[in-house]
Amino acid sequence: MDRPGAEHADHGRRSGFVETLHELFRDAVRFGATPDLLERVLGAAMRFVNGTRAFLALVDRETAEMTVACTAGDGWTEEGKRLRLHLAQETNRGITGHVAITSQPYVTGDTSRDPYYLPFFSDAISEIAVPVLGMTGHAAGVINVESNVPNAFDSQDCARLVAIAQAASVALGLDGFRARETALIEIGTSLNTTLETGALMRKVVDEAAEALKYEGCSVFLLDPNTNRLVLRASHRALAEGVGVASYALGEGITGWVAMHGAPQRLDHPQQDPRWVGRHTEMPADQIGALLVVPIISRDRVIGVLRVVRSRSHSPWFSNRFTEADERVLTTIASQLGSALENAASFQRLVRAERMAAWGELSAKSAHMIGNRTFALKGDLNELRHLLETGSREGCAEELELVASMERGIARLEEILREFRDFVMATQITLADADINQAIREVVAEFCPRRSAVALEMDLAEDLPPVRCDVAKLKRAFAELVENAISFQPQGGGLRVASRRVPPEERLGARLAPGRAYIEVQFADSGPGVPEELKSRIFQPFFTSRTKGMGLGLSIVKGIVDAHHGLLREVGGVGEGARFVIILPVRGR
Amino acid sequence: MARLLVVDDEDEVREVLVRRLSREGYAVTAAESAAAARQALAASDGFDVVVTDMSMEQADSGLDVLRDAMAHDVFTEVIVLTAYGNVQNAVESMRRGAFDYLEKNLPGVDVLELLIIKVGQAVERRRAAVNTLRRLDTRVSRMTPP
Repeated sequence: MDRPGAEHADHGRRSGFVETLHELFRDAVRFGATPDLLERVLGAAMRFVNGTRAFLALVDRETAEMTVACTAGDGWTEEGKRLRLHLAQETNRGITGHVAITSQPYVTGDTSRDPYYLPFFSDAISEIAVPVLGMTGHAAGVINVESNVPNAFDSQDCARLVAIAQAASVALGLDGFRARETALIEIGTSLNTTLETGALMRKVVDEAAEALKYEGCSVFLLDPNTNRLVLRASHRALAEGVGVASYALGEGITGWVAMHGAPQRLDHPQQDPRWVGRHTEMPADQIGALLVVPIISRDRVIGVLRVVRSRSHSPWFSNRFTEADERVLTTIASQLGSALENAASFQRLVRAERMAAWGELSAKSAHMIGNRTFALKGDLNELRHLLETGSREGCAEELELVASMERGIARLEEILREFRDFVMATQITLADADINQAIREVVAEFCPRRSAVALEMDLAEDLPPVRCDVAKLKRAFAELVENAISFQPQGGGLRVASRRVPPEERLGARLAPGRAYIEVQFADSGPGVPEELKSRIFQPFFTSRTKGMGLGLSIVKGIVDAHHGLLREVGGVGEGARFVIILPVRGR
Repeated sequence: MARLLVVDDEDEVREVLVRRLSREGYAVTAAESAAAARQALAASDGFDVVVTDMSMEQADSGLDVLRDAMAHDVFTEVIVLTAYGNVQNAVESMRRGAFDYLEKNLPGVDVLELLIIKVGQAVERRRAAVNTLRRLDTRVSRMTPP
């Protein structure tokens, strides 16, 4: 203390310090980092260390640059505010930047000899700078005070400034928490009130990107038909890819998360060996940080929620995602998972009600049509009898007509049967059954012995009994066998295989890890299913055969769904059709 | 001549059944409901075979006819017909002692001819059962002093 009158001034400064600090903290907690509070923080900073000029700089999350938020003292212009940190950012030098990087206070008593100092105001001789720490322990901003007196700041000044900066820290931190809380509440509310899944996902993406400063956010959902992750909502450049952009399960980091059900938080994701960078919210090389969390519903990964931040060009600010970000995103993903489940249940309920009404109508009309058909058959039976027992001369034509009508009625009955099986597909009664036995019975019944289609059976002998409706499953197997035969009129092959699903494959197939499953495959060497038809073949009334109404595969799907199993067609084009049925061993 | 009771609520179906079974030489009585069948059972000396539809007033009306027929004469054979009805009810009728069940709409199958075969078999079984009973009766009456 070699300055004249310093002792007196020091006493004066200290006398109001505690009260000022108290007020600042009180208002920081109450109001957050308002411009007024930041002004008062900076005012206090300048007053209690006896500086001549000061500024408070904040790191901008979007641009990762530091900007001057407020100033104190003489000589500031708008231009000055803008330029004060410009040079420092250009050259990665300067005391403010140094403090931001180290998160430690810095004091100099002679700027002319200081290695970090970049001249801006000519009368700045001493300078002190302290970090405003963010929630993660990194600098969220810097308070910088200068003086026109040499050696103006001592260790006590530094301690005071650190204390004052903490008030700004608290205010900024609370603002961050409040923003997250608001965003989470907003997302939670919209998830509870939006039943249309498209709108729901768009809402999540927008909220997450805006309020949580994720820059880019996307929702990918697994398409159960193709087992691919398809973009369902996005933000920024990727918004156009909704419904089109997709990853295979396990492809890229996004696919990896869907496959393994574990979140991934990466800086410089481009360096990760899994990185493919195909569908990105911003040019792939600009992505600085990536966070992907699984969306889980009923123990199964149904999709992923992904956020990205651009690469930070600032040396003192990393744009990486924190553990807190991961927790928040996981929370959003789990809310989204249950909301999607809600929406799906609601749709299922509506569909179930419609199906119930439709099913009752169909059952009634099938019954009535069935009875009329039976009566017609009776009349034809009588007509044939009369023709055959009467004078046989000249009856050949009439008998031919009777035969034609009988064929017509047989067709009608086939349609009725398909119709009934479709309506009844989901009404199952469970009991333990030997699936291999069921397969053998179906093959014996539906595979003609002298067929041009070569049959190959590969049934695992260690198959456990499966809790199922074996009559319905046999109906499903029969449909697939008939399907394979009808598509290979010139001959070919049919391979029927069964096995337990090994635990390590449950993940890739999106099966609950703790449950046991068996798999039954029907692979033929026919023309196969063209890629563009794969998603449609299980829909009712889809047919490329002339026989029946086109309910066949939808009946199979209905039966497998009712067993809480999975049905997929996974054959490559030109390799023949390959239907895979996966069933839980212990039933629903 | 074997006596048959045909029960079906659909007029056309009932007529077809009566006509075809009569042609085969059976004495056929018709009833259009489970209640009418009960009356017919009460009014008769019994039927050898009852052919009944499953789904009439109720989805399982055939089970009522089965119960009434067997209550009247435990050796009466019952054949249940279903038209896209609940197969479970048909299976249940087998469990309760029906002779057989037959789906009316087997594609490409002349179910009436199949029915004729089944009715013939049912008549045969009934006859065998009644004969066995008569023999037992005779033996018992011989053993019993007058």
